Amino acid sequence: MKLKNIFRGFLIAPVIALLGVGFSSVQAQEESVLVEIQKRGVLKVGMSTFVPWAMRDKEGNLIGFEIDVAKKVAEDMGVEVEFVPTQWSGIIPALLAKKFDVIIGGMSITPQRNLTVNFTSAYANSGQQMAANIELAGDKSTLEDFNSSDVTISCRRGATPCTIAQKMFPKAEIRRFDDDTQAFQEVVNGNATATISGAPKPRVWTDENPDKLFLPFEGENLTRGNEAFALRKGDPDALNYFSNWILLRTDDGWLKETHDYWFKNRSAWIDMVSIDQ
Amino acid sequence: MDRNSPPPPLPRRRVTLVDLVLIGLVIGMVMYAVYTVNDVLVYNWNWNRVFSFIVRYDEESGRWVANLLIQGLLTTLRLAVWATILATIIGVMMGYWRRCNNLSLRIISRTYVELIRNIPPIVFIFIFYFFISGQIFPLIGLSSLRHDSPIMDNDLFRFMFGDPRLFENFIAGMVCLAVFEGAYITEIVRAGIQSIGKGQWEAGRAIGLSHFNILRDVILPQAIRKILPPLAGQFITLIKDSAIVSLISIQELTFLATEVAATTTKVFETWILVGAMYFVLCYFFAYVFAKLEQRGARSNR
Repeated sequence: MKLKNIFRGFLIAPVIALLGVGFSSVQAQEESVLVEIQKRGVLKVGMSTFVPWAMRDKEGNLIGFEIDVAKKVAEDMGVEVEFVPTQWSGIIPALLAKKFDVIIGGMSITPQRNLTVNFTSAYANSGQQMAANIELAGDKSTLEDFNSSDVTISCRRGATPCTIAQKMFPKAEIRRFDDDTQAFQEVVNGNATATISGAPKPRVWTDENPDKLFLPFEGENLTRGNEAFALRKGDPDALNYFSNWILLRTDDGWLKETHDYWFKNRSAWIDMVSIDQ
Repeated sequence: MDRNSPPPPLPRRRVTLVDLVLIGLVIGMVMYAVYTVNDVLVYNWNWNRVFSFIVRYDEESGRWVANLLIQGLLTTLRLAVWATILATIIGVMMGYWRRCNNLSLRIISRTYVELIRNIPPIVFIFIFYFFISGQIFPLIGLSSLRHDSPIMDNDLFRFMFGDPRLFENFIAGMVCLAVFEGAYITEIVRAGIQSIGKGQWEAGRAIGLSHFNILRDVILPQAIRKILPPLAGQFITLIKDSAIVSLISIQELTFLATEVAATTTKVFETWILVGAMYFVLCYFFAYVFAKLEQRGARSNR
């Protein structure tokens, strides 16, 4: 009998302990994440694959504009960098759950996002561009032409393009996909009229499928974005550090130079990514 | 009559005209679908770009080395093996609680099973992940482990858990999966316990064994033999379900495949290939379990 009771005690105790942990969220005095990074010697960066911001080269390593930026930040801080590839739709919850210290993921500043996370000043200004199906939208030339109920616009879920599509083309049907590739494929297949995505991706796809896709409005950007690092709230020290890093690297031209390398001239790096084009 | 006698054997394999026509029709339809796919789908097929993410030729060492997709497959395999072990422990414990005398234990185990079975896996994993990785891991000190300590930075550790830097990520996915699948194993174990006749319990009680002793020494050994086939099925389900944890960015096959698809823009090649990889993995285990089952059945006789 005694043994039985002990056995039970062993089983119940951890369950109660677990429940206790679940309901009491311990709020310790928070230190700035900067201190933590220095102590750890590693800067953890949350990002998501998005050509040419971040992608995989032939060896499976991460390369891209953002990857260069994050490496440079870490170098200037004197620490190592560690990338945490994360699904885009879950990247803000993952930041809040402290899976990494900062999102350097080409995230554009929006008022909604800013309610949950802090943004540094912008380190890139990429526009949103549209690519459309020639057969379905070849006769459309103005913004108003696309704002009609027979237009279907595909976009990546949880990202800026969907918000833009809703705002600029309220009459069009919006179809959301988990990643950009599916959204573009839908337009190539003729199931959607157009897609919106960060430049230069629409141009890349149009170049690859010249008989199916074209760039409406002479390829002009629909909006100008402000991409920034995202940090957890309540940490002014880290916000100040990263914002000033961006300020200094904008002034000395490093950011523009790196941005141009990845965005202006694809032939400079395309060999690293794919075998044939 | 012996309840355990096998069903009558299937008739001998003889191919009739009906079989030939049926098989011919199926093959014809598949070929037609493949043939017309490029009319429906505007797509430049290019398998090479995706194949290079399985293995690649390393020019420095002059050898073929595993690339992202194989690394993902290995993570999936590790995830499945460890999650099965943990899920079995949870399942046996909870399955016992489901049938024990203590009311509170019965309530706990019942709540666990019903909660998990009635929430979609994706929703459960999303919530549970942020709970364990946000609260439990810091509490038990898992998030402050040093990745370059000798305990973690060695070949045995790499073989068992993969890259030490991704250890926390791996454990989070593994625990999520195990807690989720444990509920189903609980029910399998409970069914196994219930399938043992009342006479066994009465006999145990007659010789003065306690409830726990009867379960451990009399009922469970017999039950386990009966539940092995459904357990094997559950293990294979677990391999497939492991794709769900890609949602919480566990670096397994499905997650890395999304990365490869995004980089190469070759969506269909990537997913067809990944589907084939899952199929080979699951079919292999199904085959192994079928063989084990045949052996078990022979030793039963």
